[in-house]
Amino acid sequence: MHRFANPARFTRLADRILPFAAVGTVVALGVGFYLALFVAPGDYQQGESVRIMYVHVPSAWMAMFIYVAIAVASAVALIWRHPLADLAAKASSPVGAGFAFLTLVTGSLWGRPMWGTWWEWDGRLTSMLILFFLYLGHMALLNAFEDSQRGYRAAAILALVGVVNIPIIKFSVDWWSTLHQPASVMRLDGPTIHPSMLWPLLIVAVGFKLYYLTVVLLRIKSELIAARLRALDLATVKAAEVQGQAVQG
Amino acid sequence: MTRKRRRLYIVIAALLVFGGATALVLTALDDSLDLFQSPSQLMASPPPPERGIRLGGLVEEGTVLKSTDGLSVSFRVTDGAQSVPVSYKGILPDLFREGQGVITVGNMGPDGTFVAREVLAKHDENYLPREVVDALKESGQWQGEATQ
Amino acid sequence: MRGLALLVARDLRLALRQSADAWLAVLFFVLTAALFPFGVGPEPNLLARIAPGIIWVVALLAVLLSLERLFLADFEDGSLEQLLLSPLPLELAVLGKVLAHWLTTGLPLIAAAPLLAVLFHMDLSGLGVLLLAMLLGTPTLSLVGAVGAALTLGARRGGVLIPLLVLPLYVPALIFGVGATDAALLGLTARPHLLLLGAVLLVMLVITPLAGAAALRQAIE
Repeated sequence: MHRFANPARFTRLADRILPFAAVGTVVALGVGFYLALFVAPGDYQQGESVRIMYVHVPSAWMAMFIYVAIAVASAVALIWRHPLADLAAKASSPVGAGFAFLTLVTGSLWGRPMWGTWWEWDGRLTSMLILFFLYLGHMALLNAFEDSQRGYRAAAILALVGVVNIPIIKFSVDWWSTLHQPASVMRLDGPTIHPSMLWPLLIVAVGFKLYYLTVVLLRIKSELIAARLRALDLATVKAAEVQGQAVQG
Repeated sequence: MTRKRRRLYIVIAALLVFGGATALVLTALDDSLDLFQSPSQLMASPPPPERGIRLGGLVEEGTVLKSTDGLSVSFRVTDGAQSVPVSYKGILPDLFREGQGVITVGNMGPDGTFVAREVLAKHDENYLPREVVDALKESGQWQGEATQ
Repeated sequence: MRGLALLVARDLRLALRQSADAWLAVLFFVLTAALFPFGVGPEPNLLARIAPGIIWVVALLAVLLSLERLFLADFEDGSLEQLLLSPLPLELAVLGKVLAHWLTTGLPLIAAAPLLAVLFHMDLSGLGVLLLAMLLGTPTLSLVGAVGAALTLGARRGGVLIPLLVLPLYVPALIFGVGATDAALLGLTARPHLLLLGAVLLVMLVITPLAGAAALRQAIE
């Protein structure tokens, strides 16, 4: 694993993957949204507004997936002091927050025709709101220190505490919402979805995954370049100092 | 105490505590939970009128009556065995319909009618094209909505 | 063990010398709760219905208020470094600090809660469950808060950051705490809520000393 701690090697690898990831993103999202908007049928109860689902559900998956990815990267960073893992966690957090936000907005747009309100304290939507706050806390802590290394370390600990807490939060919010809603007790055996609606959903989900990969690779690369620039700046300043001393001496 | 041994003690203690937590959760889930009451429970032990209650069940088919001003509505909530008349004044959620699950929050009135302050409805978790549902209904295999 | 007792005793002595801090949290607790009737109106039925929720939320905020100084004084005067060097495992030291924090913040809040229950016309049959739930829930607030306090040591705007980190993690304690009291007031059984509150406390009892110690180590390095 430490083979890829070398920035040059990582950059070479990232450059090789990036074109495929970027093209894959465009193709998967294009096909997925085309199927979702034009081919897939409307729902028997919800009509056309069910199409929001094709953005809403994959975003929700991504928001959860990325938090787990951050936690894994944080564990790697804390245990093996792997520098790229820190960068990966830092690069992922805003993307995850973006997906959580997208889930909330589309959920709210979906809620308008379905529930009759823009916001319903529905169990899943509420959990997503809390997840969004967890992302914001992670991002804020990352940027709260003069010394970026401390930010990485603190944010990594927070991410691990967060990932242990997410199931507890999820459980408690579900508990709370069944107190206030007829959700789980009225339900049949689990959610069911027709194949004609499942395919577009999965394709969009793959597109989102590839998008995440593209953005994270790009962001890590730019962080590496920024670090190189800082090092170069320092070197020039040092060289100038040495020269100045030499002239004086 | 060596470092290794200390770590071992920490791990054992942590596992014991986690075990305790699991036991607590399992006991809690084992307790039958009165999240909301069914019509049968309500009929069996009528609560005092000042106590707020969550009444849950299905809207009985053919019992929804809307008043002429369109604001008040009355219906019966059933669990298959018993049913309770409910009156409600306000705007119903879109997904409120006969045969659908609802939760009503309110009080038991003195005349045996449940006066709801709030009516909650939720769509079921089936995402299906309309044609499929129609086909299913035709062949008699449709088990959504009304069969709980 | 002796080291732990010494640490707790020291923190308690310090808290007693500056008892204004503990009083401030209680004062904040009562004062903030007293604002609610102005916000929602003085109707007794309404106040009685929302009393458990208000008491819990306000208790949460009062604990939050006291978190920043949990490690900050020790961090600034260097005693935290001494603590790191002492033979007492840092995880235990964190537990000791949390215990002292709970004794000086959580316990006074629980003592003040009946006053609020009376002010809000809460049915006093639910008071026992409310106090029991707070007894189980407030240690969780101190434990989780300690991690937030340790993580933000030396951060820019650390005091503002703590609520953002800690409040989302407080949600389970809030839900089960209010749930228990509400259930008791409705005449339903509060047992499952209390059991779950206890389970959350146990899980936090393991996680937070580990995370808190790790956070303190990286703050000192």
